[in-house]
Amino acid sequence: MGEAARTRREFLSRAGGALGAGFVAAHWPSIAAAHAHALSAAADRTPAALGFFTAGDAHDVEAISAQIIPTDATPGAREAGAVYFIDRSLLTWHAPRAAEFRSGLADFREKFAAAHPGGAFATADEPTQLAFLTSQEKSAFFSHVRALTLIGMFALPQYGGNRDGIGWQLIGFEDRHVFAPPFGDYDRDYPGFKLPDRKT
Amino acid sequence: MTRRYRDSESVDFVVVGSGSAGAVIARELSRKGFDVVVMEQGPRLAPQDFEHDELKYWLDSGITNNPTLSPQTFRKTPADVAKRPGAGDQNSLIYARLVGGSSVHFTANYWRLHPVDFHERSLLGAIPGAALEDWPITYDELEPYYTKVDWEIGVSGLAGAHPNEPHRSKPYPMPPMPVKSSGVLLEKGARKLGLHPFPAPLAIASQAYRGRGPCVHCGFCMGFGCEVMAKSSTLFSMIPEAEATGRCEVRTESYVFRVATNTRGRVTGVHYFDADKRQKFQAAKAVVLSANGAETARLLLMSANSQFPDGLANSSGMVGKHLMFNQGSSTFGVFEHNLNEYKSVQVTRLVHDFYDSDPQRGFYGGGGIDARIGPNPIIWSLDGPEGANWGKSYKDHLRTFPRTMLAQGHTTSLAVEANSVSLDPELKDAWGMPAMRCTYKDHPDDLKFALWLQGRAAEILDAAGAQKIWRLPVAEGSEAVHLLGTCRMGNDPARSVVDRFHRAHDIPNLFVCDGSSMVTSGRGQPTMTIQALAFRAADHIAKFARRGEV
Repeated sequence: MGEAARTRREFLSRAGGALGAGFVAAHWPSIAAAHAHALSAAADRTPAALGFFTAGDAHDVEAISAQIIPTDATPGAREAGAVYFIDRSLLTWHAPRAAEFRSGLADFREKFAAAHPGGAFATADEPTQLAFLTSQEKSAFFSHVRALTLIGMFALPQYGGNRDGIGWQLIGFEDRHVFAPPFGDYDRDYPGFKLPDRKT
Repeated sequence: MTRRYRDSESVDFVVVGSGSAGAVIARELSRKGFDVVVMEQGPRLAPQDFEHDELKYWLDSGITNNPTLSPQTFRKTPADVAKRPGAGDQNSLIYARLVGGSSVHFTANYWRLHPVDFHERSLLGAIPGAALEDWPITYDELEPYYTKVDWEIGVSGLAGAHPNEPHRSKPYPMPPMPVKSSGVLLEKGARKLGLHPFPAPLAIASQAYRGRGPCVHCGFCMGFGCEVMAKSSTLFSMIPEAEATGRCEVRTESYVFRVATNTRGRVTGVHYFDADKRQKFQAAKAVVLSANGAETARLLLMSANSQFPDGLANSSGMVGKHLMFNQGSSTFGVFEHNLNEYKSVQVTRLVHDFYDSDPQRGFYGGGGIDARIGPNPIIWSLDGPEGANWGKSYKDHLRTFPRTMLAQGHTTSLAVEANSVSLDPELKDAWGMPAMRCTYKDHPDDLKFALWLQGRAAEILDAAGAQKIWRLPVAEGSEAVHLLGTCRMGNDPARSVVDRFHRAHDIPNLFVCDGSSMVTSGRGQPTMTIQALAFRAADHIAKFARRGEV
């Protein structure tokens, strides 16, 4: 919230000067509201409810996503809540592909059970999971989980993933509305643009 | 003081489309004293309605044509059966469906065409498999209108910054945007190779301009609406100025599905669906179509009647044909330190040294390379370098985001007659009208040149000191936001749809001006040219109207 307030101040002082502070003041609340909503969703630690998946589905999908973006020195898809993002997506914006996802998951489980009788993907050890996913990586279902996991890492937290901005932290992205130069390390000491030599 | 007109009032002009061209024409005609109704399919959003929501805007048709309500079909050649996109996928031909049109979500790169673009057919001769033609106008005829775009719309840039810059009668009204790290690196790499990088012209306010504030560098230009009105969208520039005349109404959620004609073969107005899908009719003395390079052609075809059985303005059979997209190629460079390209505008430096087509290469093509962010995080994350695309190593790849820039090649598409917008014989949209069918296969030279330019981009990144360079494969064109060429201008009524003044060859009070008017594709970034054409068209249309010639 300190960050949101800072962003808001910067926004008002930079944009307000030229636009007329009245304009920005009048319209800022809705911009800030969307931003605050995303932040509060990200900060909400209560376990999200599942709507599309059963608990068993969710365990497998979470385990797959956790291999797609694994947890190493930094959090991965599991901590980002990618499975909750996928669950919610299949009921909302991504609903047109929900049936395809469901049958893909059933097929995935069937194949895993055939290769590992009595086992579930989610409870298998890591080498087993990696070997099985490698065998499936060209499948439409794996591509689908991969895409949704990545989208869930970087979409606004209000969609259920990217908790605490974990995805953004991974890629060094700052969620702000206002920046000022220098933007990066290479434009810091830029001497200015020199017009070309006209003799050539 | 927005004026409202009754349907039964025959206004001077109905303009179909409130985007890059339509808003300019409406503003010019209303300022010249004519009554204008602008019909817009989509809603009107305010700056504070726009969000940094990549999922919504890029994956869920937030402000673009929706594949469920306005479905399309696609095929590569006329021999194929066109299919709908897969469930959850986008349409092939994408445009922003709201007041301001695609000028709301564009990236705002504003390149002028060069003089050579207007007469490549004469210069290079015929190209097998392509319908390359000269334009019926020259750069010099359009130059005053390019300058008008710079000043009336609001473009930032630096005049005289590169040796092959086309002649310009006035400098830019605003200095270029502050350079980003990608711009510094492109400049460094290109200069090492003897090239001539220069500050990118952008329709984004670098300082306060005509009541709009300067850019705050939020980084969400491409595909998003600007929440501070720094982007010079017609939503923030031309539309309010047109309405301020008291002679222009922008009628939102009004979907024109047929242009009406009388027994004398003149247009009399437009049939449209209002927000509640009720059919209505707006009478007009003349009609201007600026619905974009896909919808304009579709509307002419949907307006077929017994007198014009192949669609309006289509005695040549050319309506919908010669669709062009602009090809391109993407080359990424990863550097030692942070660039943080996600901040600020997409592009700050640009190379036009490969603009002209060079017969020595063995194929046609020209283009520019710019230094940019590339897509925002979600879309960026979906495609990486060749090799493992998940797991530990992919997570490490994702970590390169702040150290990565994109050298994007923007290239030519040759006009090919079979590439087209037509009406799908079976599929209907949510209003029961024929769905748009796209037929598209790149001319082989388009792919060859895009690949060739990718090599030049890689050389620039290498010379700039990139630690790693990776490329996305050059893909055959199957989706586009540059919708060009489908009602081409020309002097020959048998080979073109509109004349050099954008008047339909077949119907004296019907005008067409948008991306569909373009005879060649340019090298990318068509909006600047579309708007210059619109300012020019408006001058001529007003002249005709004053003389009673419409």
